[in-house]
Amino acid sequence: MATYEFDAIVIGSGISGGWAAKELCEKGMKVLMLERGRMVEHRKDYITEGKGPWQLPYRGSLPPAEVERDHAMSKWGGADNTASTHFFNNDRLNPIDYENSKPFRWVRPAQVGGKSLLWSRVALRWSEIDFGANKRDGHGSPWPITYDEVAPWYSYVEKYAGIAGQKEGLRQLPDGEYQKPHPMNVAEIWLKDRLEHAMPDRKVIHTRSANMTEDKPEQGRARCQDRNMCARGCSFGAYFSTQAVTLPAARKTNNLTLLSDQVVTNLEYDPKTKRITGVRAVDTGTMQAKVYTSRIVFLCASAMASNQILLNSRLPESDRSFADSSGMLGHYIMDHCFRTSFWGTVPDKELEPFIPYGRRPTGVYIPRFRNLDGQDRDADFVRGYGMQGGAGRTPLGPVGFGKAMKENMRGYGPWTARFTAFGECLPYKDNTISLNPSKLDRFGVPLVVFNVTFRENEQRMMRDAAIQGEAMMRAAGLTDVGSVNEEHVPGDAIHEMGGACMGADPRASVVNRWSQAHDAANLFITDGSAAASTSCANPSMTFMALTARAADHAIKLVKAGTI
Amino acid sequence: MTFLDRRGLLTGAGALLGAELVAPLARALAAEAAPGFTASHVALSVDQRILVAAISERIMPTTDTPGAIAAGVPEFIEMMLADWYEPTDHQEFMNGLGVFQGSSRIQFGKPFAEIAPEEQDLLLTQAMTGKISGLSGNFFEHCRQLVVMGYYTSEIGCKQERVYVPVPGRYDGKYPYAEVRRVFSS
Repeated sequence: MATYEFDAIVIGSGISGGWAAKELCEKGMKVLMLERGRMVEHRKDYITEGKGPWQLPYRGSLPPAEVERDHAMSKWGGADNTASTHFFNNDRLNPIDYENSKPFRWVRPAQVGGKSLLWSRVALRWSEIDFGANKRDGHGSPWPITYDEVAPWYSYVEKYAGIAGQKEGLRQLPDGEYQKPHPMNVAEIWLKDRLEHAMPDRKVIHTRSANMTEDKPEQGRARCQDRNMCARGCSFGAYFSTQAVTLPAARKTNNLTLLSDQVVTNLEYDPKTKRITGVRAVDTGTMQAKVYTSRIVFLCASAMASNQILLNSRLPESDRSFADSSGMLGHYIMDHCFRTSFWGTVPDKELEPFIPYGRRPTGVYIPRFRNLDGQDRDADFVRGYGMQGGAGRTPLGPVGFGKAMKENMRGYGPWTARFTAFGECLPYKDNTISLNPSKLDRFGVPLVVFNVTFRENEQRMMRDAAIQGEAMMRAAGLTDVGSVNEEHVPGDAIHEMGGACMGADPRASVVNRWSQAHDAANLFITDGSAAASTSCANPSMTFMALTARAADHAIKLVKAGTI
Repeated sequence: MTFLDRRGLLTGAGALLGAELVAPLARALAAEAAPGFTASHVALSVDQRILVAAISERIMPTTDTPGAIAAGVPEFIEMMLADWYEPTDHQEFMNGLGVFQGSSRIQFGKPFAEIAPEEQDLLLTQAMTGKISGLSGNFFEHCRQLVVMGYYTSEIGCKQERVYVPVPGRYDGKYPYAEVRRVFSS
């Protein structure tokens, strides 16, 4: 009979890891959570929260030399803003193999809570169209699960997390469990009315957001105060983060041991029993390595970091990963395309007397409308995109100088609307993450090499998004309509996924329908690495739902004595 | 708009918390000795410092609210020059200061800070419209951007010139501008 220090080890403390720890702890398991970043305690360590711009270093703008030196990649997630720099990876100290990688922006956090402190909080479900996409058009590995199987788990995590939104009855964007939505402003209502009238297949809906509009006193959380400073941490606990939601729940059970500053280098594996036998971690302070043992392991290190750990977990006397019997580990790396935007000005003078009060942390959303029922006749691409945006008024900029300039700057420009398309990226087998064994980081882990490119389908889709976006703005009656289709660099959307894709066939996928590794029955991989496709909808709710679902299944297996 | 916040572009000009959360506020007040608040080294001569202050105040004058000097804009500019700027941009700005001051001496026989307000306006207008020979075409815009950024991110700019609502507590997408006749600082 093997003995273990813990019932479960959860690697990573972000959106997925937090849910794994909560669910496993609440079911009575003794859990060790390992996090590579430093400790950040709720409220206490939100060091920039509540500060005015005059209280931020450089008034919020990190010097360019420092940005390029330490945050060449994490700047794409906002590390160049001194309100949040301390929540981002130092890309100099923790690099990738830049020389051998194709352009990829791997935006990493640097603390307990991971990107749950930094995410955009867009809380959407994936639909039956999404889970059926690979099978339907033949790209990537078919999902072995259906929307209906995931739906109860979406409900479960939504109710606990607290999601503001509105039911719309759209097949491509299933409804969830919602608190009342954040209100639209006059210009968004104006746009919604006119667009939906002019183009009935297009909808403008409230962005479904993990910023609560109702209190959850039982969790010690208050509703959103419309400060819009989420990326500094929120002492109200108004948005879903590990710190505000899953970590307190896990701690409450007294079953959690949380160790920060622990870089997991690899998993130890016994090929005879096909089990993970240990998790090796290096303490970033002492630089000492230690192997922790548990009955089961949840790998939730973030999509790309989980790939790195798996790739570095090699079979004895081999340079192959234990998790790669399919040959698919590290393949099918994906991200959303999101550098296509469009905009217009609301010409209606009746809206001019009004401005927004408060700083709403969300906006409005235009759900996917392309290729919903098979292939649109006029679409030269498969799958589709959604659009995030909103309307607002920008304060007038300086004209001239002196008293007249100053007084003029007390006014606002017109209401303008602006949206950004988020496009689904197809799974391509040769979009890969791999290791360069000749380059090791300071913890002895080989640097990752990204070989990921967007292809013709993504380029065509984004061109279409710009054309459709402009057409929609014009149809709604906006003026000064424009669009931009910038270079799309993988990783940029911070929705990187894949590499340990889910599938029914162990010869063609890395995890099974329960997020359980085909090659190790006691290993569950529940972050974005297990995604077999990306949908065009933001993925975090899916990671939460699949993690909670996997934890439930894992406990059943443990109780049954199977693992 | 949300996609801007998503990439952290808005948070740099964020708001202040309510009095019920005192700890962050206390930390904020203690933090001002850290880099990025005052220049880590002298970046301007005494004359240049006087010139920068005079330009700042003339661009953003004292009206019914305080102007650039009261808001600490000259100190902000010196901090940016000392600690934020790349060397080439720094040098370009310093060259511009020299040419601009020289033009004041040539046209009015005195440094910019000592000439009459109308003369200052004339000189700034010349700079703005590219009429000062040898002065980089974007010197005026450069000055104005620094002043505007420094002023509206200052405590005075946020709280006295603009309307500062630390904890709005709600979002109203149909709020009458007539209620404030100002911009809400973000």
